[in-house]
Amino acid sequence: MNTLTLNNYTLIIMTDDKQVVLERILQVTRYRGYLINGMTAKVNTGTNIATIELFVSSDRPISLLTDQINKLVDIKSVKVDNSASQLAIPKPPQGTDSAGIRNVLR
Amino acid sequence: MTDSKPLTGGGLLFKVLEQHGVNHVFGYPGGAIMPIYDALYDSEVQHFLCRHEQGAAFSAVGYARASGKVGVCMATSGPGATNLITGLADALADSIPLVAITGQVPTAAMGSDAFQEIDIFGLSLACTKHSFQVSHIDELEKVLHQAFEIALEGRQGPVLVDIPKDIQMASIEQTFKTASPLKNKVKLPLADISKALDLLTHAKQPILYVGGGVGMANAIEEVRTFASKTGLPSVSTLKGLGALNTSDKNYLGMLGMHGTKAANLAVHDCDLLIAVGARFDDRVTGKLDQFAPDAKVIHFDIDISEINKRRIADAPILGDLKENLPLLTLSLNIKNWQEKTQQMKRDCAWRYDHPGEQIFAPAVLKEVSDLMPENTCVTTDVGQHQMWAAQHMSFDDPSNFLTSGSMGTMGFGLPAAIGAQISRPHDTVITVSGDGSIMMNVQELATIKRYQIPVKVVLIDNEKLGMVRQWQDLFFDGRLSETDLADNPDFIMLATAFDIKAKLITKKSEVTAAINEMLDHDGPYLLQVKIDAKDNVWPLVPPNSANNEMMESA
Repeated sequence: MNTLTLNNYTLIIMTDDKQVVLERILQVTRYRGYLINGMTAKVNTGTNIATIELFVSSDRPISLLTDQINKLVDIKSVKVDNSASQLAIPKPPQGTDSAGIRNVLR
Repeated sequence: MTDSKPLTGGGLLFKVLEQHGVNHVFGYPGGAIMPIYDALYDSEVQHFLCRHEQGAAFSAVGYARASGKVGVCMATSGPGATNLITGLADALADSIPLVAITGQVPTAAMGSDAFQEIDIFGLSLACTKHSFQVSHIDELEKVLHQAFEIALEGRQGPVLVDIPKDIQMASIEQTFKTASPLKNKVKLPLADISKALDLLTHAKQPILYVGGGVGMANAIEEVRTFASKTGLPSVSTLKGLGALNTSDKNYLGMLGMHGTKAANLAVHDCDLLIAVGARFDDRVTGKLDQFAPDAKVIHFDIDISEINKRRIADAPILGDLKENLPLLTLSLNIKNWQEKTQQMKRDCAWRYDHPGEQIFAPAVLKEVSDLMPENTCVTTDVGQHQMWAAQHMSFDDPSNFLTSGSMGTMGFGLPAAIGAQISRPHDTVITVSGDGSIMMNVQELATIKRYQIPVKVVLIDNEKLGMVRQWQDLFFDGRLSETDLADNPDFIMLATAFDIKAKLITKKSEVTAAINEMLDHDGPYLLQVKIDAKDNVWPLVPPNSANNEMMESA
């Protein structure tokens, strides 16, 4: 029986709105041993900067993931949102710009 | 080509390669990369036709590691591109700067399951530092510059650029503008060295633990000066071999699974571990929670993600080794510890008094090492011969010992030697291989033949997948499973078929003359060395054991 305690984290990732950046983040997150519980993504079309909220859980320290995501070439910054609930899996906010999501996902 | 012929995407590729000082590339043509190969026809860049794309990737890796330059390889779409993957993964794992160019089906056909279409861009995500798929001819020049910048910046690594065929054919004018940096590079603040200085000042039994990052940071001189001025007993990882001065009386050799007994015992007993460009790899640490169990850790690295990844650092120092390491130089009073480790080194010295007439591989490799010319570059494959080479050969620079460290890729040695020889035509290049590994990229003997590349192959032949056989004997109750290679081809005939001079030796009395004959031969040479199939690599730290629990016999 797995007795590992999973901690929940919310990451705020700022990134250039570049090709497959979301795919890169998801690949790194899975490979490094973090479960993805949810996410939101939107793009500021003025600055071409995407903001991704990533809700993950793992028994591993979150710094092991943030350091790896931060190494990705297109990433501007990665922060752990300490104010977010660490107990519940947050739902994506209402009214997210679907056009923005499409850009990040392309 | 006439002057009036417009520059194409393919032509632009070679212009940018030339701009970055690339003289040699390794590759294999195919349908979706034909416009690039057409442009090659008019380029100053010399292309080496390998006989498999994996061979091209490893030749580019060997080229990069031997020369310090970026290695470049090329392949067509589909299977050509997927055949590069193992080489890219190897380069990523060992932090080797590589630019891989792949042809892709035309933009209009992409996503249609076209002939020889594969999503190499998607496949590359897990095995490159970064990758690009060019979607318009106007971005090609910038992307290519960025590829070189990313390959070399910080912790080095492979970058893939996937170029659809229509973009290779499109007309373009070169702007000669280098790309602006992708990230706003923040200069790392000067390291806070005070905690590290305090730890070193109070340490009674410190050890310097050197990894492959030293060579990658071009900080060999700084590390040797630091080792010499502090008098620290030192150990090296597999990839760090060559960084330290092997004649330094305080140098204890390689640590880890097949490390020297002295190195492993000293690290186990130390109270301070100064990790320099090393990453606490599992083959180094053995059972992690029993690795240097009483030691504080100072960790120098360029990559923040390595800090605290496997071992918490009491004093992490992020940044350029060349700048940071000299700041830690102190005069130390560790005479008792030095004497103790030097005694360990004497007590655990290698022995070559192997009974019987059969050839003892460690003795052969020691003799090759003693006889080979200065600045010889040695590559290896993976297995027992690799560990024997690491244990019994001496290297004066990490660029003179090229081995697949992290990925442990069989088939690395021969093509890597080809790349190394092309990058350093005036140095001797030897590949130490095994009868299992050599067959993984044996087709590259044709590349050696085509270009008359004077690589020397020392083939350690035990008619086994020796390392797996050793583990089956030791840890799987001797249940030998699929490790017998008694039906290998006749390697002398095989080499001869490629116009490569070859010799077989089976007795100790033949060794010295055969090595000299090989080294004196102007062209390529294969020396097949038959050894006892039961010989094992010792010492060995068993799985899930501490490094001080190493086995020294079965």
